[in-house]
Amino acid sequence: MSSMLGRAYRRSCSVLSRYQSISTLFQPPSDPQSTDKQQVHVSGFQFLSKNAHGFSSVSNKRLNFSCGSSLINTRVSFSTLAAVEPSTSDGLTVDAIVAKQWAILDESEGDWKSHASAIAQSIRLIKKRLQWEKLKVRLEMLSIQMEKPDLWDDPVLAGKISREHGSLMGKMKQVNGLEQELIDHIDMIKLAHEEDDPDLESESVKALLRMRQSVKEKELEALLAGEHDSCSCYIEVQAGAGGTESMDWAGMVMQMYKMWAQRHGYGVTIVDEMCGEIAGIKRATLRVDGEYAYGYAKAEVGAHRLVRISPFDSAKRRHTSFAAVAVTPILGDGSHHVQINESDLRIERYRSGGAGGQHANVTDSAVRITHIPTGITAACQNERSQHQNKASAMAVLQSRLDQREMARQAQINAHYTQSLTDNSWGNQIRSYVLHPYRMVKDLRTNFEVSDPDSVLEGEIDDFILSFLTNSMDKENEA
Amino acid sequence: MASSSTLKNESSSSTEEMNLSTLARATSLSTGLALRTLHRSITCKPISCSSTLYSLTSINPKTPLFLRSPDFTATLSDFQKWQNWAKTLALSVNSSFKDSDNGPDSEILLRELSWLIEDALENPQSLSTGSQVEVLRLRADLGDLYTLWKQRIEIRRPFQYIVGCEHWRDLVLSVEEGVLIPRPETELIIDLVCDVINQNVDLKGGLWVDLGTGSAAIAIGIGRILGDTGRVIATDLSPIAVQVAEFNVKRGVYLGENRRPWAVQLIRAVSGDSVTCEHDAVVEPAKISGEGDNSKDGSKDDELKVSCLYPTFQLKYFDKDKIAVKQGSWFDPLTEFQGQVAGIVSNPPYIPSGHINGLQAEVGRHEPILALDGGENGMSELLHLCNGAAFMLKPGGFFAFETNGEDQCRFLVDHMESVYRNSFYDLRIVPDFAGIRRFVTGNRT
Ligand SMILES: C[S@@+](CC[C@H](N)C(=O)[O-])C[C@H]1O[C@@H](n2cnc3c(N)ncnc32)[C@H](O)[C@@H]1O
Repeated sequence: MSSMLGRAYRRSCSVLSRYQSISTLFQPPSDPQSTDKQQVHVSGFQFLSKNAHGFSSVSNKRLNFSCGSSLINTRVSFSTLAAVEPSTSDGLTVDAIVAKQWAILDESEGDWKSHASAIAQSIRLIKKRLQWEKLKVRLEMLSIQMEKPDLWDDPVLAGKISREHGSLMGKMKQVNGLEQELIDHIDMIKLAHEEDDPDLESESVKALLRMRQSVKEKELEALLAGEHDSCSCYIEVQAGAGGTESMDWAGMVMQMYKMWAQRHGYGVTIVDEMCGEIAGIKRATLRVDGEYAYGYAKAEVGAHRLVRISPFDSAKRRHTSFAAVAVTPILGDGSHHVQINESDLRIERYRSGGAGGQHANVTDSAVRITHIPTGITAACQNERSQHQNKASAMAVLQSRLDQREMARQAQINAHYTQSLTDNSWGNQIRSYVLHPYRMVKDLRTNFEVSDPDSVLEGEIDDFILSFLTNSMDKENEA
Repeated sequence: MASSSTLKNESSSSTEEMNLSTLARATSLSTGLALRTLHRSITCKPISCSSTLYSLTSINPKTPLFLRSPDFTATLSDFQKWQNWAKTLALSVNSSFKDSDNGPDSEILLRELSWLIEDALENPQSLSTGSQVEVLRLRADLGDLYTLWKQRIEIRRPFQYIVGCEHWRDLVLSVEEGVLIPRPETELIIDLVCDVINQNVDLKGGLWVDLGTGSAAIAIGIGRILGDTGRVIATDLSPIAVQVAEFNVKRGVYLGENRRPWAVQLIRAVSGDSVTCEHDAVVEPAKISGEGDNSKDGSKDDELKVSCLYPTFQLKYFDKDKIAVKQGSWFDPLTEFQGQVAGIVSNPPYIPSGHINGLQAEVGRHEPILALDGGENGMSELLHLCNGAAFMLKPGGFFAFETNGEDQCRFLVDHMESVYRNSFYDLRIVPDFAGIRRFVTGNRT
């Protein structure tokens, strides 16, 4: 933790954590983005006026039980406030449930303790994946910034802060909600048991089971909780040294991602492609549009190695080829890290020869843009008008510049380091062997499958998930 | 503007068939020479052209392929057979066109083929997603697709005439034989105008003219960036160009957010009328606006919201009242606006007559000579336009002309500086993206 953060943390701890929980609770659930400070104030007052009615959280809880579940939300508010950690009427917390190590049985066996234990484990995993402690610190820091009266003097920064604040707040709220939900279910089951109401009891156990299933999905979502994970992205594939053999391999890798993206229902567009003379590609940029495209695809960054008998070698020798993969997120408007200056750009039409203009009928209007200060370039030739090619190339350029800037900031802000997005093309991440045996193995996780064909047809989710799980869980152990 | 009746029935299948059969006839007839004479005859006597190939299409500009209704079907295997045949044909070209007249090579032809497929299939995604559909719905008969691709390779018929449209900036413009296919270089004229009107509110709200408008590309491009009171008059001598320009002004669409026009639902923002269709078929924008919509609600720039597989994008109608198309030679239809024009833009014919014979086949054999031939040194029309600019523009008014390159640019600037000394200021020569000095711009004193 940086010293600045530390100070902020100490200064704000007591006051802020109260504030936060208040605003968390009263925020309209539909819009996690709009947490501006006004709302925080208003909700604070709301809280006061409600509290002034004099319910104690205990009496409120009682009330709840007799009225069924419709009031659960109100009660969540109070109890989260009163004690940060939700607990059952007899003092059981989520951590305590984990500690009890109740056996986790199959879902079909209706033991509530097994369900509760499974859910508690999941919640713990989700918190771990969300980097819970770091998230809390960050959120407090953001909340302090949101309170500053001069916040909106810099609307761009303010927008960024309030967006991130909103999104972290949303996560915090979601997890708190899960904890509370678990506790409520347990309370309900116990109460039903005490009052000898078997219908209510079995109903409540069923509800618990449903929660067990839904929380499992949330585990997966928590893997993709990075700031830009939900973005669309570009996947760039480049052939390594070795001529046609490597270009062919790069083409296969490209195809693999295309099919993977299509399986996911993502929109896929080839933005820029430079074909090999004989086969495959020298390089290509694929645009993948859809939720979490970046979150998944970032797991593919690195060098991919192929071992096979080369179809291009008449002597039928075994060859090893490499293809490098880079992935950059496409940030939404307003969240760019770099403002591109028109005057810093050199825009060229390429592959054009001759007099042009009325002399030529062309369907090729390839455009290359160079960002002169950084030397970073982006090209596009697959759109049907020059204007669109230029727009596409600009978007690629923006994404590359954003990525570069994020990497730079990541080095400055230690707490923001995302080793995953490191675009080091050098490190080999996966090996695809077609000869003398058949296997695909991830060198980071040791996850392997023995059917390279299915992998090359885009079935790479298992590799991605095992890597994300692995690296997330490793990273958070520190 | 054309009466609404010219627009009503253009997508009826009988018209479509007619076009295709005429087209087939044209194919068998067309040597470069025959076509060129044809265009000449239009130039000389526009009225007598009713018996020519283009008269039919000129009465009803064709709906671009991608907007036609998917009334045809083909089995996946038949379609793939066509696709493989077309691929082989494209590959057989290699670099022979390129070597002979700087025409397209196989790589470019293959990309065109993928765009043709994109336009011809109701659901272009179905091919790539591997969802094993047995029967594909097409916007043209498979047999016609054979004919069309053969024309592309064997007689070098331009790709844009084959699919009936050209993507230009973010517009999709209908084009057909008899109208010049707008060039990518010309897109920059809109950027030049954009820079100027952003600095000058007066020009932004004024009257602009696009001389020799062709498909109306420039006119529409400018019409979309002008202010509320701004308007554009587009003129052309060619009756076909005038028809197509009007069609594009009234019916043209533009793409937002860099997406292809695969739509599920179209909603008019103002009236709220909507049409939903299965899957990601394209709804013809006309269908949504009801019968003879031309004057129905007079709504401006009514926005069509489109939901589709991709993030929402929009197809928009242009504000049709903003752009008027008039037939006539250069400034002739504009005499009443002498001294009042805020901006003049033009991409007039500028190829020296002597170069016409050696042009790339797609251009020389298929595009109208009226749109290309600029007289002995290619400057006849440009000089005429310069002279016109001097008396048509109001003080402070702006002009931008496209030229053949550096020599013509220099010549024009010299001419203006010597003959019209003190009439213009801020004369500039602006290069295109290929680095060729392409445009001359300036302001009226
Ligand atoms: C090079 S094309 C440009 C078309 C369109 N502006 C574009 O950029 O795509 C030249 C246009 O000028 C028109 N034209 C030729 N002579 C003309 C004349 N005397 N008066 C008006 N238009 C003329 C042609 O019909 C043709 O449409």
